Amino acid sequence: MNSNNFWKLLGALGLAFALPWLLLVVLPYLDQSGAAPVAYGEGEEIEGGLTAYPDRTLQRHGASDYGREIYAAEGCAYCHTQVVRPTYAGADMWRTGWGGREEDGLARETQPGDYANEGVALLGYQRIGQDLSNVGHRITTREEMHRHLYDPKSFDTDSGMPAYKHLYRPSAMGDGLVPTPKAEALVDYLLSLKKDQPLPKSVLSGN
Amino acid sequence: MTVPQPTQEDLNERAAIDRSARYPVMFFFTSAAAWLLFATVMGFVSSLKLRYPGLWDECAYMGYGRLFPVHYNSLVYGWAMQAGIGVMLWLMARLTRSRIANPAALIVAGHIWNAGVALAVIAIWFGAGRSLLLLDFPGWMWPIFAASYALTVVWIIPMFLGRRNTLFYISELYLIGAAVWFPWIFLTANLLINKGAAPVMGAGTNAWYVSNLIYFWMAPIALAVAYYIIPKISGRPIYSYPLAQASFWVLAILAGWTGLSRFMGGPFPAWMPAVSGAATIFILLAIVATVVNLMLTLKGCTKLWEYSPSLRFTVLGMLMLAIYAVLSAMGSTFVFGKNLQFTHFIAGLDTLAFYGFFSMTMFGAFYFIVPRITSAEWPSGARIRSHFWFSTYGIVTMVVAMLVGGIAQGGDLAQWDRSFSVSFVNSNAYMMGRVLAWALITWSNFYFLYQLALMFIGKGRKSAGPTLIHAEPGEVPSARAAAGIH
Repeated sequence: MNSNNFWKLLGALGLAFALPWLLLVVLPYLDQSGAAPVAYGEGEEIEGGLTAYPDRTLQRHGASDYGREIYAAEGCAYCHTQVVRPTYAGADMWRTGWGGREEDGLARETQPGDYANEGVALLGYQRIGQDLSNVGHRITTREEMHRHLYDPKSFDTDSGMPAYKHLYRPSAMGDGLVPTPKAEALVDYLLSLKKDQPLPKSVLSGN
Repeated sequence: MTVPQPTQEDLNERAAIDRSARYPVMFFFTSAAAWLLFATVMGFVSSLKLRYPGLWDECAYMGYGRLFPVHYNSLVYGWAMQAGIGVMLWLMARLTRSRIANPAALIVAGHIWNAGVALAVIAIWFGAGRSLLLLDFPGWMWPIFAASYALTVVWIIPMFLGRRNTLFYISELYLIGAAVWFPWIFLTANLLINKGAAPVMGAGTNAWYVSNLIYFWMAPIALAVAYYIIPKISGRPIYSYPLAQASFWVLAILAGWTGLSRFMGGPFPAWMPAVSGAATIFILLAIVATVVNLMLTLKGCTKLWEYSPSLRFTVLGMLMLAIYAVLSAMGSTFVFGKNLQFTHFIAGLDTLAFYGFFSMTMFGAFYFIVPRITSAEWPSGARIRSHFWFSTYGIVTMVVAMLVGGIAQGGDLAQWDRSFSVSFVNSNAYMMGRVLAWALITWSNFYFLYQLALMFIGKGRKSAGPTLIHAEPGEVPSARAAAGIH
């Protein structure tokens, strides 16, 4: 009688939880993991010879895969998001450069395919610092990116970003600083963050 | 209506159960307390770093991005979960009237858990973290936690099967629920995220895991404690058993749907955040019904709150749970949520869950359980009082600073035509509040840890009466009379 009750209870708990587990997590996960790149349609002219969205080589830059690990290990995602929300949900698209190349009319909200090159998208926990979805378009040279990491306040005295001095070593020649391989990889990753690849029309229309 | 007085036979049986629980439960409690000290100090240090970003900037190990996950993982896996597991074991043994049969196996499992937490903290600190809230530890580490949890919690199944009553206690329902839900969400989150096949849903799974950890582990254990301690100390049955049962099932059906509302407007199908938000709002009904049910149980003998440390911490924990549910529901509506996501508001809510309602209830449980399993009373009521008030001020400061600061930050973030750093500069005062709050909380925990250490080494007070907050031991009868119990 008692043990019977126990298994009944477990069954009921299992049923109650299986539904959201399947519908909210497992099935959407499986659905997304099979997603293949979508080819651009006839007559869609895309610069640079791109044939499909998402283009994973476009999302790579030098040692950016290793740089992503440094980004995660330093906990960058605790202060920086990589989500550009539609205007109904926030002012992200109004911030200069957050949505991508505005001057080319390419700025847009982030889409699932934009993270195709990563195992887990680092969407971020808080937005204490700027959104980095398209930081590769805002800061375009290695030197400037290194300066941002080594001394963020040299760009904005009000910046709340800590300096990542431990990623740099004094030069052997005694004349300045040399980035460590970690810093170089991190810069590669940050320069690779360009989530504004034009979307094929079939993605835009949701088919 | 009062519950029947226990016979001498009952008392002997209880004492035997408590003796069997002594070593394993004290092991989990003292390890949890040590992690609590570490976690609260790290909370203070990480908040200080956030307020003064220039501090220690030559040092790789002192970046906010490492200190914060070190703090959070030690708080949740080191303190909260170990405290919860200890409480779960003792409570299940008492409710089912069975002794803990394998104390040695439990202690071994506890060592594995502690080794896992230590490894996770070291890995994050030395630069192997993954920037995934509460899943920061490297991908190969989850089996340590899973194995230790299984080795611990499996013992409550024979306890439950061997019980003599046919009716479920509400606390039993919550304990069984928590025992089953945690491995399910933990395995799902780790396996899916480690597979790395669907990046965006991986991030969604992480958010789902954090929210489910709160609703499916922290809340059930806290409620199991409250449903046990409040009737026990007030000497009354639960106000409404059917209401308690209904609230349990509402939570059980809905909590699995929560979590995705952290990403309103994110790269998810729009129905996901919407459904999660709706579930969080409906859960408010269950939580409010539960808290009201518990408070009605106490009606007419609220003076007991002045004397009993267990009751006082538990009631505070329950009030915080109600506040958490209300604010979460508010943050899950689109109007508030879109402005508050990614702000200190959400981070403050998480802290309110893991530190606020959960830890307060656990303190209540500790003050109840430790004297019973060590057969000694807490050395000083005054120190319990200090622990209570510094904790309360600490957590209230935290919640007010983070929530109000989050609302202000949300406003600044929405002002796209002003410089971004305005949102950082304007949060500085609130972040100072967060630093102060962690300082108060750390201070409060010294009182707690000092007393717990005394109890652990056998320096508790030997006395027939319990240690009360507002009475010397000799005055216990009058204190009881004042509280309206005879």
